[in-house]
Amino acid sequence: MSNFSEPKTDGIEDDMRREFLKAAGLVAGGALAGWPFSKIALAAQHAHEQQQTQAPLAHITATQALTLGAMADQIYPQDDTPGARSLGAVYFMDFAAGSFMAGAWPMIEAGMVDLNERAGRTFGKPFHDLDFATQTRMLEEIELTPFFGSVHFLTLMGCFSLPKYGGNIDQAGWAQIGFESRHAWQPPFGYYDALYDEEAFS
Amino acid sequence: MSAFDTTRRYPTREPVDFVIVGSGAAGGVLARELSQAGFDVVVLEQGPYRMASDFGHDEVKNMMLGDLTSHPGWADPQSFRYDPTETAVVGNGGLPPALYARTVGGSSVHFSGNYWRMRPLDFKERSLLGPMSGTGFADWPLTYEELEPYYTKAEYEIGVSGTPGPFDAPRSRPFPMPPMPVKSSGVLLEKGALAMGWHPQPAPMAILSQPYRGRPPCSHCGFCIGFGCEMNAKSSTLVTMIPEALATGRCEIRPLSTVYRIETGSRGRVEEVLYVDADGQQQAQKARAVVLAANGAETPRLLLMSDGPDHPDGLSNGSGLVGKYLMGNGHSFIHGYFEHELNDWKSIQVTRIVHDFYATDPQRGFYGGGGMDGRPLVNSMPVLHAMTESGANPPRWGAQFKRDVRHGFNRHMGILSSTTSVPVERNNITLDPSAKDAIGRPLVRMTYRDHDDDLAMMQFLQDRGNEILDAAGAQRIWREPVEPQTAHAHLLGTCRMGTDPARSVVDPYHRSHEVENLFICDGSSMVSSGRGQPTLTIQALAFRAAEHIGQAARQGEI
Repeated sequence: MSNFSEPKTDGIEDDMRREFLKAAGLVAGGALAGWPFSKIALAAQHAHEQQQTQAPLAHITATQALTLGAMADQIYPQDDTPGARSLGAVYFMDFAAGSFMAGAWPMIEAGMVDLNERAGRTFGKPFHDLDFATQTRMLEEIELTPFFGSVHFLTLMGCFSLPKYGGNIDQAGWAQIGFESRHAWQPPFGYYDALYDEEAFS
Repeated sequence: MSAFDTTRRYPTREPVDFVIVGSGAAGGVLARELSQAGFDVVVLEQGPYRMASDFGHDEVKNMMLGDLTSHPGWADPQSFRYDPTETAVVGNGGLPPALYARTVGGSSVHFSGNYWRMRPLDFKERSLLGPMSGTGFADWPLTYEELEPYYTKAEYEIGVSGTPGPFDAPRSRPFPMPPMPVKSSGVLLEKGALAMGWHPQPAPMAILSQPYRGRPPCSHCGFCIGFGCEMNAKSSTLVTMIPEALATGRCEIRPLSTVYRIETGSRGRVEEVLYVDADGQQQAQKARAVVLAANGAETPRLLLMSDGPDHPDGLSNGSGLVGKYLMGNGHSFIHGYFEHELNDWKSIQVTRIVHDFYATDPQRGFYGGGGMDGRPLVNSMPVLHAMTESGANPPRWGAQFKRDVRHGFNRHMGILSSTTSVPVERNNITLDPSAKDAIGRPLVRMTYRDHDDDLAMMQFLQDRGNEILDAAGAQRIWREPVEPQTAHAHLLGTCRMGTDPARSVVDPYHRSHEVENLFICDGSSMVSSGRGQPTLTIQALAFRAAEHIGQAARQGEI
């Protein structure tokens, strides 16, 4: 793990995330896969229903869900609040696997196979059965790969996007950061404007 | 998507007075002005007819999947390269290099509402500063004073909130509405800038601070940048110009209509506009005159695609300048976290700006100027906030990352700097020589590398932003690296106006130098880039163009 200012390396998924971060006065709107939104909405509805009814996942096997859930909890762990798995990140990934990330999904599956093979070879157990610190060390070895980058990206989307996509169950991810989706707010909005003397420019 | 019941339908096989390609910042104004002047107008818009009820707070839909910025019916990617020696590629993480909204109202629907006038110097900087070798640095064929009445008209017809700042150009009328309520990012920008001895001012915004012409004021929902307004408080052409155009009974908005060719007749005049309709069928709309307002990327693409035996390099391209001198404005961004909660994710993006570095200062050692504003940028949205905090390569993750994400959402602000772009010929829009979109059009190919002076100005203002955040008491400050940009929401200069047909594409009133019944009016008309918020200038130009085009039509001069 490192901080923001480290040198960059190549990688499609890294580039994708980097573009979201460019903050160049632009909205980040880019189609990841050219999916029409009507199909996306349908896939979202499925994921949401599965999450609501605890139904089996449509595009992710039970074993894959264990791997992805463990990775999600490494990326955005439980502290005094729930981690990404409890927030529903795996349900979001199921939605993504069946829609806008379908093209990249074979790469993610191959990454999971490789991760579990290495875990089995070295420790005699699948990745999700390893203790937390060992999982962390294994992921540090692959944190520059498109596989890890994609799961990282999907984990954050699963924690903080609208619950209708399967994650952010009961808006618990939003509650953790202090966000609330409302259609109207009134000033003052924050600490500093509450103290402001409006006379200056009125 | 909801259908809007336009009462008027024009047959395609009979010529209408004007076909306008594009319904955005410029196209919406032209449609309203020309239909109110008594002409029959058909507007062809490639996007769907979305209304306020179609807009919401869905970050995945809007930001990750590009619902507003993608074509709804088929893939229409764009290719990019920094330099002419490279082979352009489609990539960029899915972010279109020419970033614009495909919807009725165009990018005026999803923009942030920053609505700056240019200043007198912007129109004559070549004369003020002298030549810049190897560039297309030039004066405009009009002055600020000539455009001022149209700036005023745009502010009143569109609906703008603000109050004059100490460096603003003279104005003939006050702002129609007082400024928007200040946010904590505005307060802190003001505090830091005042401590540095600078002159912060309220931001002029095309967002309503009061009820105006039947529309409600902003409800501060926070989903503004990149989103359509669910309250109709953002002054897009969707909710200002276009309903008024439809009310004349002489304007038809034809959504989901993607133009692929302008056809000329035997006399070299434009005769019909070919497009693919909502059902994927090829159509042709006859017209007495055509106005292109498709933006600074799609307008040159269409001209370059409309070649013919007597214009082999594209329509209206005898100068060879169609698509060239693309300017995107430079941008740099710096983040800060403060001790107390700003909640900068509420309300609009920008409430205070700093224009102390607007003019070029030779002592800086390079050409350029710009403005700065306090805002959340994409940190106003939960997913993008977390991604911004995660950094890039390798991404941050784990317990400390989570603490920062949770701590920072309410305590974040940034300073966005916007700068001039030097017009250089190698920065351009051309047709991709190999890749085509799903209906067979060559892709938009963008070639762009920010001029060294642009990068220097971006860096200069980021440094000033650091000083502001520091003086305002930020607890943690970090920068987005300044580097050549690969995506542009401001698409300027690609069909520049001028008096010399060898050095410009349109005359000072937006008429093609070569095709007498073809007009081009959008960001492509601009000769210089301004300081980073071009929408008001584009709309003022559109009001002015419509007046002259209407007069010419009435006098039988088209």
